[in-house]
Amino acid sequence: MREVAIIGVGLHPWGKYPQKTFVDLGVVAVSNALRDARMEWREIEAICSGIYIWGGNAGHLSGQYLASVFGETGIPITNVYGACATGAAAMRTAYMSIASGQVDVALAVGLDMSPEGFLGAKSDNPRQDRDVLRWRMVGMSNPVYWALECRKRMEKYGTTAEDLARVKVLLSQYGAENPNSRYKKIYTLEEVLTSKMVVDPLRLYEICATSDGAAAVILCAAHKARQYTSQPITVAASTLGSAIYGDPTIRISALSSPSKAEAPLLSESYSASRQAYNQAGIGPEDIDILELPDNSSWHYLQYLETCGFCGEGEAERMLRDGETRIGGRLPVCPSGGFTCFGEAIGAQATWQVVEVVMQLRGQCGSRQVQNAKVGMAQTYGLMGNSGTTILKR
Amino acid sequence: MHTVGSEKNPIPAYPDLFVWNEEKSELICGYCPSCKTTFFPAFHQQHRPGCTREDVQEARVSSGVLKSYTIQYYMPPPPFKTQKSIVPYAIGLVEFPGDIQIAGIVQECPFDHLKVGLRMNVTTYTLYQNEKGQDILTWAFQPAEPVKRAE
Repeated sequence: MREVAIIGVGLHPWGKYPQKTFVDLGVVAVSNALRDARMEWREIEAICSGIYIWGGNAGHLSGQYLASVFGETGIPITNVYGACATGAAAMRTAYMSIASGQVDVALAVGLDMSPEGFLGAKSDNPRQDRDVLRWRMVGMSNPVYWALECRKRMEKYGTTAEDLARVKVLLSQYGAENPNSRYKKIYTLEEVLTSKMVVDPLRLYEICATSDGAAAVILCAAHKARQYTSQPITVAASTLGSAIYGDPTIRISALSSPSKAEAPLLSESYSASRQAYNQAGIGPEDIDILELPDNSSWHYLQYLETCGFCGEGEAERMLRDGETRIGGRLPVCPSGGFTCFGEAIGAQATWQVVEVVMQLRGQCGSRQVQNAKVGMAQTYGLMGNSGTTILKR
Repeated sequence: MHTVGSEKNPIPAYPDLFVWNEEKSELICGYCPSCKTTFFPAFHQQHRPGCTREDVQEARVSSGVLKSYTIQYYMPPPPFKTQKSIVPYAIGLVEFPGDIQIAGIVQECPFDHLKVGLRMNVTTYTLYQNEKGQDILTWAFQPAEPVKRAE
């Protein structure tokens, strides 16, 4: 396998853009990435692109739609899908196409336009689509699943309402400093603790919103990277994980789960992160910054354990002691996280990679993590989808 | 027990998930004797790697223990449909024999009575009435011991 580096990144800022299309957002992100890499569109040799379910057939062909705007060149286009881990699938596919020696330059794109409020079902066949059944029979929104797991954690480890609120308070300080974030208000503990209850015990500001956004990453064979940039960022690992039987998590879409834990909670993310540690030859102790999927405050706490950054039940202490702050032992989501960006489902895993790249290049201004050398982007998606990217400079 | 309704009787919002009569309601799980997994619904099979998947049977459950719960304060979008807004309402995760936990709407239980460890029975809940006036049902859970309401 050949070494692969990231030579260009670009975003369309996160927000709500009802007047725009996913192609509009993608064109901005890709244009910014091309400019960042000082590269012409014709130099792209492969495209890996993905979006969630709201794009219809156009979404299934998002790579072709982008190529149509920039100019079709006949290169391989792979459209990927992995729910909220779609962007991680785009990353890994682009990475593999270079690592295998097939191409020297590949573009990974994640895009999304989301409807307002809870994300509903797309098909109408409950016999084959678990999504239809969970909505029709129980009305189980995604945050219901998170609340059920959060309650289990509170029972097991004594997680408090303040712990859950503290996540938002901390991340809102970083999101306020990020020009690409959607929410820039800084919150106090009291404001979070008195925000509307959505799915007890999770309150409005402890659950991420649904947003629109796009992120693009240009990857290149390492030996050519310095033709384009003085700061290539090495891809130490790019992995995908799926669930392991016996995972006790009540996973989004499912109506049941096994009672006896025979596999770790969030086994798809356990799997993706452990594959990444093996591939990179580095462990959680070597990571300087972590972007994790804080879909809710529960995720923030649970992912610290799932990815091996602390032992069981220790995440709350890490948070309270300031270990996850910028300046602490492991700065977590210095971007501001999903809580300040909102979920743009197909785009978020690619966006996390962009944020880590900017941190490793030292381009993050007031929210810069000093001397960060190794960063990790961790995501997850419904029905057992996950991806991990480890980057180093 | 009822599996489908007649013209005057209630009917399930989707078949093959539960059965019910005046005394008792049961959820229809699948059980695999080869790899010893229990899953719900029965038509969404789940097996251990390497299983031969032979002779999968039906396994019904009716009584278990509440393992987690939440209270949803916002009305979910379609395809969820009820006659009138039911929010806020509780959703529970109940553990049944066969090492399975199943999610469902919780009925007949004041929110301050919800507690991990509470014994729960399977029941039915009327989501709405169709144009023929039939009750359209889903499964639900209710405390095994009726909750005494304060006078």
